[in-house]
Amino acid sequence: MIPHLHAWLIAPFEAFGFMRMALVACLALSLANGPLGTLLTLRRMSLDGDVLSHAVMPGAALGFLYAGHSLAAHSVATYSVAAMSAGGLASGIAVACLAGLLARGRTRRGDQGLVAFYLVALSAGVLLVSLAGSNVDVMRVLFGTVLAIDVPSLLQIAAVASLALLLLAAFYRTLAVDSFDPVFLEVARGRSFVRGMFVILVLLDLVVSFQAFGTLLAVGPMLLPAAAARCWTRTAGGMMVLATAFGMAACYAGLLVSYHANLPSGPAIVLSAGLLYGFSLLAAALKDRLDGLVGGNAA
Amino acid sequence: MIGGQRVADEPEADPAGNASAGSGIELRNLSLAYGRYLALSGVCGKFAAASLTAVVGPNGAGKSSLLDVLAGIRRPTGGEVICPARARRRLAFLPQQAAIDCDYPVTVFEFVALGLWRAVGAMRRPTPEDMQAVDEAVAAVGLRSQASRRIEGLSVGQMQRVLFARLIVQDAEVILLDEPFAAVDERTTAELLALVAAWHRTGRTVVAVMHDLAQVRAHFPDTLVLARAPIAWGDTASVLTEANLARAREAGQA
Repeated sequence: MIPHLHAWLIAPFEAFGFMRMALVACLALSLANGPLGTLLTLRRMSLDGDVLSHAVMPGAALGFLYAGHSLAAHSVATYSVAAMSAGGLASGIAVACLAGLLARGRTRRGDQGLVAFYLVALSAGVLLVSLAGSNVDVMRVLFGTVLAIDVPSLLQIAAVASLALLLLAAFYRTLAVDSFDPVFLEVARGRSFVRGMFVILVLLDLVVSFQAFGTLLAVGPMLLPAAAARCWTRTAGGMMVLATAFGMAACYAGLLVSYHANLPSGPAIVLSAGLLYGFSLLAAALKDRLDGLVGGNAA
Repeated sequence: MIGGQRVADEPEADPAGNASAGSGIELRNLSLAYGRYLALSGVCGKFAAASLTAVVGPNGAGKSSLLDVLAGIRRPTGGEVICPARARRRLAFLPQQAAIDCDYPVTVFEFVALGLWRAVGAMRRPTPEDMQAVDEAVAAVGLRSQASRRIEGLSVGQMQRVLFARLIVQDAEVILLDEPFAAVDERTTAELLALVAAWHRTGRTVVAVMHDLAQVRAHFPDTLVLARAPIAWGDTASVLTEANLARAREAGQA
């Protein structure tokens, strides 16, 4: 029994360096994803997160064009990762600013504008990538390549995760108040930069997630564990811890499943997180039902 | 800041003396436009230090806009607000309740403790005396038994008590209230009105947007009848007349 378990749960990571790299990268991402995803959910900004992940696309594609080679060519992989990250960050910030302006405008149709950006950015990105690359490249940009993570991208992920955790810890109180009573915060301390800082942190996280999960899935490991955590606890701190743990579990399970069943790993991880969310929803519904029954008896 | 200094230097006619010195609010030719729509135009006048003023007027008269500008969360299109208390961050603002997301997981106690912001800011830990002040404020609005409850399940009236408790902790010189008793039950309204009266007695400057004219007549010494510009401003008994209200309605429709 023990040898079997070992073969199932641990051996893949012992045998293959790329599996270890993928696992470490995903665990590091989960550390940032837990708190950031929790705040996105609590601030009702899930859609914004989705839009930002697509906003990264055109810039990353331009970086890819500039680097000029297929992502598969290993000699230039690091070069193109840097170019794509820089491009992705730039276009992400541009879209975030535009969307911010739009939301402040007279129309007050923030969501419409966001969806428009999302579609335009996605199409522009796919178009740009296919100009220079193949269909394989397009697939990689859309869905990522967790198993191709190299040392420079791992460092990038670790740096962003550390930065995000430090800044969130330092500005947690301000961010929390800005989430539920922004007017109070503005009167108490003047116009605050925390909202902008938060959006930039989410964007950085998405940019470094981009290589692992692609533009379509990057927001999944951020939002799904947080949504699942919300079913189990109602305190913000508890949600952050639980979301991080769920995210890590989903990464581990997804990588194993993708290894044993020979499935693409990014989608396997996001699906694992999705399963966790579904299970949490069911458990929460069941608990409500039971509470109702118990309450009914007590009354 | 510079404007604040100017007023602080002016001698204040202030019988209560103490905390309220220089906590009046002066409006100089204030205007506010949303695109082509003028919400406020040419508003001049002064909320005296330690005064208690009700702002009344028809819908769309710019009452909430005026409070937003006074609180500093909206920049006026023209003119200026001179409010030394605001420059010293001794101004508290209660917006309409819709401005707050009550689903966020914070407890009543934590929410009231936000009133300590001036003392503890983003990083510092509150002292035991601070916590004591929060406890007392929660008790003063009759929510002691609910202190550790999350705000999400509270009724409108209970939430308004929580917000008033936070105002107590804030201990501001100028307090702005935007429709503080809308959709609030009678008993809660009476208790909260008593708090407003206590603030007035301790020399704070209070400005409240009000709908219920009977409440205004009973509890507010001064009234500003507003319809984009002041129609009348002064002693409630002489200002709150049918003629002035009719003029405000006409001006509101124009």
